[in-house]
Formats: sequence, structure tokens, C-alpha cells
Amino acid sequence: MIQEESFSRQSMAARIEERLKPSAVPWSRLSVVPVVIALLVSLVLPWATDLLPFGKFVLHLLILFFLWGIVVQGWNLIMGVSGIFSFAQVALFAVGAWTSGVITQQLGWSPFVAMWFGPIAATFVAVILGLPTLRLRGAYVVLLTLGFQELFRNFTTQGPNFVAGGGYGLRYVPKFPFEEWVGGDKAQFLYYYLALVFFAIATFAIWRIFYSPIGMAFRALRDSEVYAISRGVSPFRYKLFLFGFVAFFTGWAGAFYVHWYGAISPAIMLFGTTINLLAMIVIGGWGSFWGPIAGCAVLTVLPEIMRAVEQYRILLLGIVLALVAIFAPEGLFPLLLRWVRKMLGRQT
Amino acid sequence: MLKVTNLEAGYGGSIVLHGVSLEVRDGEAVVLLGPNGHGKTTLLRTISGLIRPSAGRIEFDGKVLSDMSPAEIVAAGVVHIPQGDLPFPELTVLENLLMGAYLPDAWKQRKQKLEQVYELFPVLRERSNQLARTLSGGERRMLALGRGLMSNAKLLMVDEPSLGLAPFLIEEVYRKIRDINKSGLSVLLADENADHIAGFADRVYLLEMGSIVSEGTAEEMLKNEALLAAYLG
Amino acid sequence: MEKLIQAIYGGIVYGSIFGMMALGLTLIWGALRMLNLAHGSLYLVGTYIAWALVTLLKVPMVPALLIAALGTAVVGFGMQTLFLNRILGKPGWDVGSLIVGVGVGMALDQSILLIFGPRVKQMPPLIPGVYKIGRVVINYNFLVVVAVAVISLVLLSIFLSKSRHGLAIQAVSQQPDAAQLMGIPTRTVFLIVMCISAALAGLAGALLSTVYQVQRESGANAMLMALVVTIFGGLGSVKGTIWAAYLIGLLQSFLMVYLGAGTALPGVFLFMMIMLVIRPSGLFGLGEAQRL
Repeated sequence: MIQEESFSRQSMAARIEERLKPSAVPWSRLSVVPVVIALLVSLVLPWATDLLPFGKFVLHLLILFFLWGIVVQGWNLIMGVSGIFSFAQVALFAVGAWTSGVITQQLGWSPFVAMWFGPIAATFVAVILGLPTLRLRGAYVVLLTLGFQELFRNFTTQGPNFVAGGGYGLRYVPKFPFEEWVGGDKAQFLYYYLALVFFAIATFAIWRIFYSPIGMAFRALRDSEVYAISRGVSPFRYKLFLFGFVAFFTGWAGAFYVHWYGAISPAIMLFGTTINLLAMIVIGGWGSFWGPIAGCAVLTVLPEIMRAVEQYRILLLGIVLALVAIFAPEGLFPLLLRWVRKMLGRQT
Repeated sequence: MLKVTNLEAGYGGSIVLHGVSLEVRDGEAVVLLGPNGHGKTTLLRTISGLIRPSAGRIEFDGKVLSDMSPAEIVAAGVVHIPQGDLPFPELTVLENLLMGAYLPDAWKQRKQKLEQVYELFPVLRERSNQLARTLSGGERRMLALGRGLMSNAKLLMVDEPSLGLAPFLIEEVYRKIRDINKSGLSVLLADENADHIAGFADRVYLLEMGSIVSEGTAEEMLKNEALLAAYLG
Repeated sequence: MEKLIQAIYGGIVYGSIFGMMALGLTLIWGALRMLNLAHGSLYLVGTYIAWALVTLLKVPMVPALLIAALGTAVVGFGMQTLFLNRILGKPGWDVGSLIVGVGVGMALDQSILLIFGPRVKQMPPLIPGVYKIGRVVINYNFLVVVAVAVISLVLLSIFLSKSRHGLAIQAVSQQPDAAQLMGIPTRTVFLIVMCISAALAGLAGALLSTVYQVQRESGANAMLMALVVTIFGGLGSVKGTIWAAYLIGLLQSFLMVYLGAGTALPGVFLFMMIMLVIRPSGLFGLGEAQRL
């Protein structure tokens, strides 16, 4: 037993040191070109979709992708990177949505002002939830966060009328005033650009954390809490910070959602949504940076294509989820990436 | 009875044992000496099937242990008393002992075996209804030995029975192991120092960096103090 | 006085049912260190098997309950052998098993929807009729449910603490390394635990189908309460779980009777939060909070 530990400790140190080498820190070597290209493409994309017969639908999917992309990246950061098994991310999303929605409805504030209170409330709730939760380990975090989500769902169905709307949730929430600005047809473009901005900021922030020394500390925590503690990493404070940090963006996405749809139903907090997001992370590749984004893209588009066989899709998704956890625990995206690289390597 | 030939084993990618060969004959008490971290525990864990060897062969009474599961190895009569005792903390002493006789053959004789164990370790009878986690260090060691004896063991492998005990308790533990050996059970005992070879061991192996560097009868080893000092300090 | 009787009666009914659900969860946690998020789906499997047997095939109630428990055990057996055994004992087990549970649960729920359709179904009671104490209505059906639950809990506790295999389950849960050295085949024990746990969930589901309507959401609700109970009792502790089940059952019932139905869930949850802060290892504290 003692030997085993000392071996794993050695390799742990080696692994962590490897990640701390300057060459392993990508922002120092990130080329500007792909980023600029990605930004340009996403700027032009709405105009391109306009040419398609079902362009509006594509645009809708892109906005959905941005929204869930924010939530999924945040969740991946706390679960895949630092090992916080939070099952309350959709609830935090909903906290953001409800806060912003209720403020616009009850106080009559502009969505542009109200939408900042969503993420603040979500962060606040996350910290309150995190204080008792994050001191505990894995399974207890799952239980407590699951419980919290159920509780908040309960509150939004049975709570006071301005929250629950008689069980339907929020309806007729003021939308962003884009239609008044540019007319109905092009309003969706503005939603798209706003979502893009949100997504870009969130992605950048999460990416910075992901590859920062703090990110290293988080991964150290996930891999061996004992080792991390002995190296002076305080698990609790880091986890709490990270949980709140991610909750901010998650709540932000929620606030956008409510002013985009103009409504939100408590049904969003049924377990299905959470599982869908979890599937995006797991199938894409949890703990990797691009995997969950890729997973999010695929699993946002897939349901819409497979509408007709929706019930079989969910059945299949469940089985795929279990199989991926068994046979490709690092996810399909890293696997695919490696395969592509191998093919390219063979050609040259 | 136990014959290990050219055994290689380790954890994950790293090999700890590099071609170890040793033998325990019927009724013998064999001591495996070696400093901490040189593969004694790994060797015992490999023999009892917790670690799969990457090469080599383990035979016991003509059966090949290296292909068997831990349960089958226990059934064959090789019983391993692990380092640190590992009692079942929330079971009573009695229940712990009964678990030692888990396999069907031993289970049938559990009553008489229990009597024998109680006779050898009277303290366990006194404590029989206490939870194992409430025992003192010495009592836990006795429980671990007693639990091992509940099985139909032919060879008892004991991993560092002196670990973490007060000197007067250590003496008692070794006396008990000697009694067990005298009653006919073969013993393979892993130890860090040579203090308890005299009057106990028939033969001694010296293990260093995962290889046997020396072997001989206890008398030979004890005469060769320079050798012992060089390896064990 | 009537309120008090009402509250205690409700608490015992809830407690018995929570106990059956939670004990399955806690056994799995104890032996496999797995938080089985498919537990609610196993409950549903039991519910729908019982419903199909009784209303479609006209099977009498008692065999239907037994077949439901058995059928659910078979599903648990499949889950263990087809999925979980492949990652058992490998690194990443805690995450992997969690996700396998989610995936399998999802597939089970959806299969049930595909087979039985979304409509809410009704099951006849085990024994019809009521008994009245003042204005408190004691349902005979509830009493039978409680009796079956209590009997199965008692039988299970005896099995765990007295029999050779039951003790082996405890041994594997507490010290898997030593259990292996005693010759206990750990994988077989895991399989047995999974089957027992699934059978309990299935039996609970089948029993409750006679009380509540048969619908898909009930699995998730039952699991949520079971989770609360397991936390409260201390993950992995059988004794703690049974006590916790009745305590939480009584708490919920009292909240419902005295403060209104809407306060039950938030109240129980708040109670659990406080409990976790004060005593994270549960009622009888096994130090489980430290183990994962």
C-alpha cells in the first residue's frame, strides 16, 4: 500500500510539473489567426444563414448553441477540471433567468439593466449553496445539488404568483427591444450577436482559468486532494471561487434566455435538461477544453434533426452515455482528434 | 509446498519484483527480510492474488496459484495476514473471526475453529461482542492473526507483525506466531529487521530492490552479521 | 389529537417506503462506492411491471409484487454485468459509475415511456376499505404497504447481520482488501448487492403503485427522498438509513399536517442542509463523508 502511494505521488508530481512548463501554457503561444478567422466567420454567419431556406431555424440553433455552450463549458470547468459534481447548474441558470425576468416584470426595468442581476443572484446562490456543500466530497455534492435543483423547481411551481405564475413559470417577460430597433426580421440577428458576445466572453474567461496556474491547482485537486493540500492548495476556497465564477456565466446565459424567449417554465429544471447537458460534456470529452463545446454543438443540432424519432433519440442517448463512460471515458472528441491527427500523419 | 520461481510483478507500469524465487517447505517458518519499500508486501500480495504477476510462476502443493483468483488461493490454503491488520471496523470481533472462515469448507468447522482461536487468544473471547474498531493496537493484531487462523490455512503469510506495536506486545505476537508454527502450520513472515530470527526462523531470505540477494538457514544468517548490517542497517 | 394521529400515521407510511428505497441506495454505496442515479428508474420498472401484471394479465396482487421485485432485480443484474463490471475497480470509477447510472436510468425511463405510453395509470389497492378514528382515515391498503415494507426491512437486516453472505456484504463494504484475503469473491458480492438493491426499489415501486397513480415522474421523486434519507442516515450505514427513513417520514408528515403540504419538501431539504453542516457523516456517522 505504502509503495503504491509513493509511486502515484511521484508520477503526480511529474504530471503536474509537466503542465506547469511554459510550453504547456497556450496563451503564450496562441496564434491570432484562427481566433480572428473564427470571429469573422461567426460575424458573417447570420447573413449566410439568411440565404438558406431554413436560415431562421439555423440561426435559432446557433443561439441555443451559444447559450448551452456557456452552461456546458462552465459545468465542464467545475466538474471535469476540479471535480465538483454539481447537478444544480440548470438551477443556477434558472436563478439567473428568474431574477432578471422578475425584475423586468415587477419593477419595469429595462432587460439591459436587469440582465446583470441574474448572474449576480446566481453567484450569490452558488456561494450560499457552496458553503456547506463544497467542504464535502463527491457523492454528497451530487446529492445536495440535486436536492437544491428540485427545491428551486418546487419554488418556481408553487411559490408566490409573481415567481410561479400559477405553475407555468414566467410568461410575457419583456424581451430585448431588438424588434423595435430593427424590425421583426432582423431582430434575430441582434439576438445572435448578443449571444455571440456572451459566448465569446464566457469562453475566453473560462479558457483563461482552464489553462492558468489556478486551473493547474484545480486539476491537482481533482487528481489527488491529499497531494494538493500538502502543496498548500486549499481545496475549499478554490472550489468556492470556481463554483461562484461559473455560476456567474451560467446565470448570465439564463438571463439572456428569458429575454430572448420571453418566457421560462419550471419544466426546464426537470432532470432531462441536466442529463442532456451532462451528455454534451461526457460525450464530447470531459475535462478537455474543446470536447464539451463540440459535444454541445452536436447535441444541440441532433435533437432538432431527430424530432420525428425524439423518443428513440433519448433512449439511444442514454445508452450512448453509458457506453462512452465505459469505453471512452475521456470522451469522443479527443478520440476523434487523435484519429484525425493519425490520418494526417499517415498522409504526409 | 510453496514454490515461487522468477516472479515479476508491480503496479501499473512500474515493476517492483525482478525475478524473485523462494520456497517454503512443509512446517517451515521462513522469514523474508528486507528494508521498507523493497517489495516484501508486493511479493505477499502477488502470492495471494491481489496483484497479477507479469512473469514467473507460483506453485502451492502442485497447484499453480498465479492463474487463480484470491478466493481460490485462500481455498487452496494460502492465507495472507495483511500489513496494518485491516479489520472490518463495524463488525464485532466474533463477526470478524467468522468472516475468516467464509469459504464453505472452513464455515462448516467454524465452531471448533473458533474454540481454537479463542484458546490461543483469550483476549478475543473477552472482546467477542465489541466492534473491531474499538480494539487496541495489540488486540487488533491478535484479531488479524485469529481471523487468518479461522480459515483452512496450510501456509500463513504474515506481513510485518511488529508494525506499530509497543515492544512487550511485539514479543507476545511473535510468541503466538511461533506457537502457530509449532502446531504444524507453515509460516512465511515478512519483516524489516533481524531481531526475531533466532529461535523462530528455519530459513531466511534477504530481499533488496525487488530481488533475493541472499538466502540461508537462520544460523548462517545470524553468523553473517556484516551482511545483515549492510542490508538492514 | 386527530392531527397528531394523522401525522404519526403518515410518518410511518412515508418512513417505511423511504426506508425501502434508501436502503437499496445505501447498500450500493457501501459496497460499490457508487451513487446509483438509476435507482429511481428501477423503482419505475417495478411499478410498471406490477401494473402490467395486475391490470393487463390479471395476476393476483401478491405474486405480482414478487414478480415485480424479481424482474427489477434482473434489470439490476443486467446493469451490473453489461455495464458496471467493465469499469469496476478501474481508475475513474466514481465518475464512470455515476454517468453509467444516469445513462442507464435515462434509457430505462424512456423504454418505459415507449412501451407504456405517457398516460397516467391507476392500480387497484391491495386491500380495499378504510378504518376511521374520528376524522382520521386509516387506509387498509396503507397498512398492508407498511407491513410488507417493515417485513422486508427486518428480513434484510437479519440477512445482513446474521448470515454468512450478509456478513460478507458488510465485510466487502468496510474493508474490500481484507475481504478478498478472506476468500470473499468481491465481484459476486457486488452483483448480489446490486440485485438486492434493485429488488428493493422494484418492490417499493410496486407497493406504491397501489397508493399513488402510476406515472413516470414518480421515480425521480422517490429517488430524491431516498437521497435525502441516505444523506441523513449517513451513506453506507444500514442502521442509520432505517432510522433516518422514519425520522424524515415523520418530519415530512408533521410538516404536511401542521404547516401545509407545500412546506414539506423545502422543510425536509433545509433540515438536511443543517444536518450536513453539523454532522456530515450522518446520524450514526461512519465517517463516510471523508471516503470519496
